[in-house]
Amino acid sequence: MFTRRQFLKAGSLVSLSPLVPTVWARTARAAVAAPDSKVLVVVQLDGGNDGLNTVVPFTDDAYHRARNKLRLDPEKLHKLDDRLALNESMRAAKEVFDDGRLAIVQGVGYPNPDRSHFRSMRIWQTASFDDAAHNQYGWMGRALDGSRIEGGNEASAIYVGQEEVPVAMWGRRSVATAISRADDLKLLLPAARASAVNVPSAVPADSLQQFVTQQMLGAYTAAERFESRAATASPVSYPDSQLAPRLKLIAQLLRSGSSARVYYTQQSGYDTHAAQLYTHASLLRELAGALKAFAEDLREAGLDQRVVVLAFSEFGRRVAENASAGTDHGVAGPVFLAGTPVRGGLHGAPPNLTDLDAGDIKMTTDFRQVYATLLDEWLQIPSIGILGEEFTSLPLLRTVGG
Amino acid sequence: MTNTALASTDAWLLYEPTDSAPWNVRRIVRLHRRAGFAANWSEIQRDLADGPGPAVERLLCGQAREVHTHSDFETMARTIGDAAQASGNPDRLMAWWLYRILLSSDPLTERLALMWHNHFATSNRKVQDLVLMREQNELFRAHGRGPFGELLGEVVKHPAMLVWLDADSNRKGKPNENLARELMELFTLGIGNYTERDVKDAARAFSGWTITSGGFQYKPTWHDDGEKEILGHVGDLNGEALLDILLEHPATARRLAWRLCQTLLGEDVALDADIDALAAGMIEHDLDIAWGVETILRSQLFFSDAACGRRISGPTEWAVAVLHALELCDPPPSTLLVAEWVSRMGQELFYPPNVGGWSEGRAWYASRMLVARANFAATLATGSLWQPTRAPALQQLVERHRGASDLPSATAWFAELLWGHVPDGTVAEILSATESNDGNENLANALAVLLARPESHLT
Repeated sequence: MFTRRQFLKAGSLVSLSPLVPTVWARTARAAVAAPDSKVLVVVQLDGGNDGLNTVVPFTDDAYHRARNKLRLDPEKLHKLDDRLALNESMRAAKEVFDDGRLAIVQGVGYPNPDRSHFRSMRIWQTASFDDAAHNQYGWMGRALDGSRIEGGNEASAIYVGQEEVPVAMWGRRSVATAISRADDLKLLLPAARASAVNVPSAVPADSLQQFVTQQMLGAYTAAERFESRAATASPVSYPDSQLAPRLKLIAQLLRSGSSARVYYTQQSGYDTHAAQLYTHASLLRELAGALKAFAEDLREAGLDQRVVVLAFSEFGRRVAENASAGTDHGVAGPVFLAGTPVRGGLHGAPPNLTDLDAGDIKMTTDFRQVYATLLDEWLQIPSIGILGEEFTSLPLLRTVGG
Repeated sequence: MTNTALASTDAWLLYEPTDSAPWNVRRIVRLHRRAGFAANWSEIQRDLADGPGPAVERLLCGQAREVHTHSDFETMARTIGDAAQASGNPDRLMAWWLYRILLSSDPLTERLALMWHNHFATSNRKVQDLVLMREQNELFRAHGRGPFGELLGEVVKHPAMLVWLDADSNRKGKPNENLARELMELFTLGIGNYTERDVKDAARAFSGWTITSGGFQYKPTWHDDGEKEILGHVGDLNGEALLDILLEHPATARRLAWRLCQTLLGEDVALDADIDALAAGMIEHDLDIAWGVETILRSQLFFSDAACGRRISGPTEWAVAVLHALELCDPPPSTLLVAEWVSRMGQELFYPPNVGGWSEGRAWYASRMLVARANFAATLATGSLWQPTRAPALQQLVERHRGASDLPSATAWFAELLWGHVPDGTVAEILSATESNDGNENLANALAVLLARPESHLT
């Protein structure tokens, strides 16, 4: 427990230092999540990603039989090993894979799959199968509940996008916030800072006024810093798409010292029931390009050791294509983890296309094992309390503990 | 105001001006910024002449604001609310409430409604129904100053809360503890005053509470009529009985007293003994909110030096205070834009961050929220809050009240109006940070810079 007294003490440490960047880093809120703590970035692929045309079992006859119009030409694919390859539009992801920073977990799903977008997404977001719990608290909200300190200032989770904060981030006590535009982090009138710099010298070090002044100065300075870093632009160029600017904003937040531990964003459009070849390839190109740019950006900023990206979709799609050159709602699919701390490569058993359950592949990895790995070994928040039972971690991370 | 319980501390004695605690602009500014979204200059002068008794009295009976042109306020507010509700757009419901807060003649009632919105924090993100959210908000207005038992009963049985805390899925044999737990932890007793067993049995007591066609209903067949034991009371307790038990519990009065002190006094102003005494007084007055509020607003503690600068204004309070004090509500700014800014500052009305509500106080000082405050100030000063853009007539305003409008006088007047005093050196600091060749722009910039200073957020 963090008491008010400790809080004030932490605050008074701040006031000893008139130098602003350290103020930004060391205010009491740093105890919630120090800017050097580990960060999880979640990318939700909305609509149900066609896993079979993302990680393609190109040597499997069953794949070619099931996909008449949607079959991808093995020659053009990016080979991961002698059986599996990435969609031809995912060259950027292949580069990250070759660099050892992309892990692909195959056949991820959950028992008794649900084909409703809404319900399946709620299951992923809450890690619960109880409908009554689907409107309560998300898996990350619950995870952050325990690490939140009473009276803490900064949001522990940030959603980047135009949409509402997803249920995954709802907590009983933890605070998630949404940011839709970089302008929210910039100061319109820089003179505000010049004036606020003048802290009255007679103010006692642990007073409320001192706290307010220091916070304000820290905030204005961070805004200035954010702007200058944004203006000097990282050498990395992001593709022009829906997802890339969002990941770029997350990178900017991290660069400017944001102390949130979880960031969440989404890429929509994966519900490809008809004529999906082109649409799906574009989405994957965007995803791959954005992930690669983000990874490079973080590396440039020296932040890459702190960040792991998780990309998931609420379900995969059926093995057989439908009559409209599209695919209908299926079950398990691949999950991506990207980042320097990630143990790159293929993980989990590949789906068996000749052993189907009513036309759907059988899941080979429970999604909660992925969550347990990220909670226990990355965020270092015990997963059992969040997931309600114990799940075995997967060897998805390079370094453990610390 | 005679009360034996209060006598255990000096805090709640009636404030009367003395040489060391004179009735001055600073105290008047504090009173209005905490209890009524600030006063404008004429209101400050009026209160200065009349003394604390009438000043507080006017706040209590909804006459604190000088009446402007809006005698048809209630009709207008209802029309805006109906349109917001019909549109299904939550931004418009936020704008409706801000319209009420900006223009109501009874700012204290709106201030307390805002407090209850935080106490009974319910979010539309789950309720997904503007009609219910608005109805709940009206409950805060109608019952927010009466006996707490009435307010609690109305709010807890209203569908907005029943949906928010899953009362509907709490049935005999399939208990859902959400409502029972938050009721004890947040709405009444506070943590540490009940056991897990109490929560379990409280959930059973609530079984049978449900919603039909938009209203509360009790379904006896869903009720678990077995024996329960809650806080030492044993029997087939139902929801009503449980509420009575909670209302009689001294911890509830304590939590209410704490909530009122947090709202009106700020951080660490009332000592434990003061809160205990206030709680004891509230028990003697049937948990009457109005009594508690009046006791605080008339008290020595409220007007003491120790209470000075102890409270951080929340986003809604702050934005409205600035607009009202500077007489910028005729015509009012776009309340949709004000709502958007208040959200950026961290208080998205009808969408509290979780069932615990906004943390208030120091928690309003997250960096993004502060940048939003500074940017709101800049936006206001340039007139971009109005549609079409309409630069505030600051020059005329200052001339009218101060007689002069040179930059230093005007800046000092802004400080007096909003802070209640002009600390040494601040005018020079603000002016040195504000550099422009255009006179009117200078005045707007000086105001924006002043609003972005720490003094503007503390009362």
